[in-house]
This record gives sequence, C-alpha cells and structure tokens, in this order.
Amino acid sequence: MFRRPSKRRRSAHAEVGINLVPMLDTLVTLIAFSLFSMTFLSVVSMDSQVPVNSAASFKDRMDQRPLQLTMSEGFDATTIWSPFERISKVTVPHLEGGGGPDVLRIHSELVKVKQKFPKERQLVIVPSSTTPYDTLVALMDAARLLDNTDPPVFQKNEQTGVNQAENMLFPEVVFGNLLGDT
Amino acid sequence: MPHFRSIRNRRARKRLDGRNMELNLTSMMDILVIILVFLLKSQASNTSVFIGAEGAEMPYSRTPDVPPDSLHVAVTREYLAFQDQKLLYFNSPTGAPPAPAPKAPPGTKSHEPEEPLKLEIRKEDLDDGGRRITPLYDALVQAREKSELLRAKSGARTDQGEPLPFDGILAIQADKRVPYDMLRRVMYTAAVAGYKTYRLLAMKKEE
Repeated sequence: MFRRPSKRRRSAHAEVGINLVPMLDTLVTLIAFSLFSMTFLSVVSMDSQVPVNSAASFKDRMDQRPLQLTMSEGFDATTIWSPFERISKVTVPHLEGGGGPDVLRIHSELVKVKQKFPKERQLVIVPSSTTPYDTLVALMDAARLLDNTDPPVFQKNEQTGVNQAENMLFPEVVFGNLLGDT
Repeated sequence: MPHFRSIRNRRARKRLDGRNMELNLTSMMDILVIILVFLLKSQASNTSVFIGAEGAEMPYSRTPDVPPDSLHVAVTREYLAFQDQKLLYFNSPTGAPPAPAPKAPPGTKSHEPEEPLKLEIRKEDLDDGGRRITPLYDALVQAREKSELLRAKSGARTDQGEPLPFDGILAIQADKRVPYDMLRRVMYTAAVAGYKTYRLLAMKKEE
C-alpha cells in the first residue's frame, strides 16, 4: 500500500523577492542629479606673475649678466633673445598666409636654450598689442611644456647629486610689457 | 469551433491575469549602477569650478594644471565681467548692451574674418593714460578688501600671529580672439589693485 505523498514537498514555495522599484527610483534621481551638476568643460590654467623690477643695480646686473630669456612677438616674426647677450638672437618668421607664429620652431629653439641653461625657469614674453589670446596661449604652451619627443634636458639635483630629467621648459612666464607702453 | 475557442481563450486570459506578472528589474539596476559609478568618477576627476562665460570661445591648451577656485574676470567679444557680473560692454558708446546681431539663416556658415577683434572701451571707464579700467578696478579693490576683512576675522593666523595675507590670484577667462591689448589693460588694472598672480584659463586639449 502506497503512502500518501508528503504535502510539504508539494506545497507551493512563496517567492521571496526584494522590491527593487524604490531603489530604481533612487538611482534614476541620482543619475539625473549627477548629469545636471556635471561640468562637461575641462578647464586648465597657466599662471603668470606680475613683473617686478630687479632690486639689483644696473651695474650689478651688468656684472651678473643674467640670461633673462625674452621672446618678442612681432607682426611678422618672433624673436628669442637675451638683453645681456647670453645667447645669440634667433628670429623665427611667422607661418605663411597669416598663420601666426611658428610655434613648433619656437619650441625647438627654446629647447636648445634650455639645454644650455637647464637651471633657467623664467621666460619674459613680449606680445604685440594685436596678438589674440589663442596665439598667446599657444606661445605659452610652447614655452612652458616639454614634449615626450623633445631631447631630454637634465639638471643636477643639489641634494642627491643625481642628474634628473626636467619635465618643464620655462614654467615661469612673465609678460614683459605689461606695465610699460611698448 | 469559434464559439468554444472564444470561451477557452477567455479562460486562459483569466488564468494569466491571476498570475503575478513581474518585470525583472535586476539587469536594469545593473545598468543604472554602472552609469552612476561612471558619472561619479568623471565628476570626481574634474574639480574645476570654472564654467565657460556666455559667448566666449576659449582657446585650447596642453597644460595639465587644473585651476583651483579663485576670483575671476571674463573677457568676451561683447563684455567684461567680474565674478559673473557684467561690468561694461565693448564698442558701446552709451555703455548699454549692444543690440543682438541678426541671426544667420539656418544652414549658412558664418564667414567671420580671422583678424583680431577691435574692442573699444568708453573714455569714461578708463584712466591712468587709458591703461586702467575703472569699473574693474573698483570691483577688484572691493573684492580684495572683503577678502582681507574675512581673513582678519577668521581664526587662521601665520606664525607671527598675523592674519593670512591676501593671495592676490585672479583667473582670467577670455575669448580666443580677444587681443593682448585688452588683456594687458585687465592685467594692469589687476596689478594696480593688488593682484600679483594671473591665472590664464583655457580648455584642455586632448592628446
């Protein structure tokens, strides 16, 4: 005689499930909030200090002969020079067809100067009055940043005595004609 | 037979309605969580507080430095603003905002010349030989004094017990075609008002 099958096995299992709807609501609200508060612009900056007159007298400066690397941007060419003639003057003509300064060549000339004077960090930039802001930013990029494709520039670390590769060209850019009339 | 089929269908429908139909939301939850994590991550990596000034097309730069929060000036093709407050309009004899330029019909490309902009300021708004912009100078001095007052009242002190000095940093956000002549006036005005560091803003160029 067969026994009656167990009821326990046959009884329907009550399905246990988490109610995901409120969690879904929260997520949708959070995503909407994040999208609204998100800034899609990625802004970067380049710092520049106000130029100050050197405290040293003219005679002292003539004796010291600092590099005072200067980049003058004219209407048809950019000139890289030193007022104390520590480097020979380099003139880079603007690109043909009104293309503005030849930023690549200016950069390579500045890298050559950096290799000669690895400790130098400052560059005085003298733009013309009509230089647009994007040209100014391009010139500052060319003067401040070292690319991976540039020849390495080494500087001796005074504390460790080890040569270290520089990762910036002339990071301190100062506007030379800011306070003057030129 | 159509009559019986109909009754059968009705019964089947009844049975379906009785069953607890639930949408499986787990996969949708997974997608939403991934989107949320992605959004939060990209929000955390972009800490810049500056937003583009209305009507200004900023240039691109390769520099990696992200600007921290500071006082800022915006120079667009139409106006000069300090802390999002418009101080003056260029090329406006009365100082009032210029009439909006007529919109080009859709589908036509604007042929703006790529020569530098000519931005004129009224003589009443300039002094010091045309180098200092008076409304900007007033606003900058006011902001500096407010900052110095807040620093004097705050508990933070230097080693000598003095209030923390005014940092004097001014972020400058300009349209890419604004000529250096106008930027020089802005920077000169800032220098006279006691701001010693300029932070030139640009858009990050992706390499």
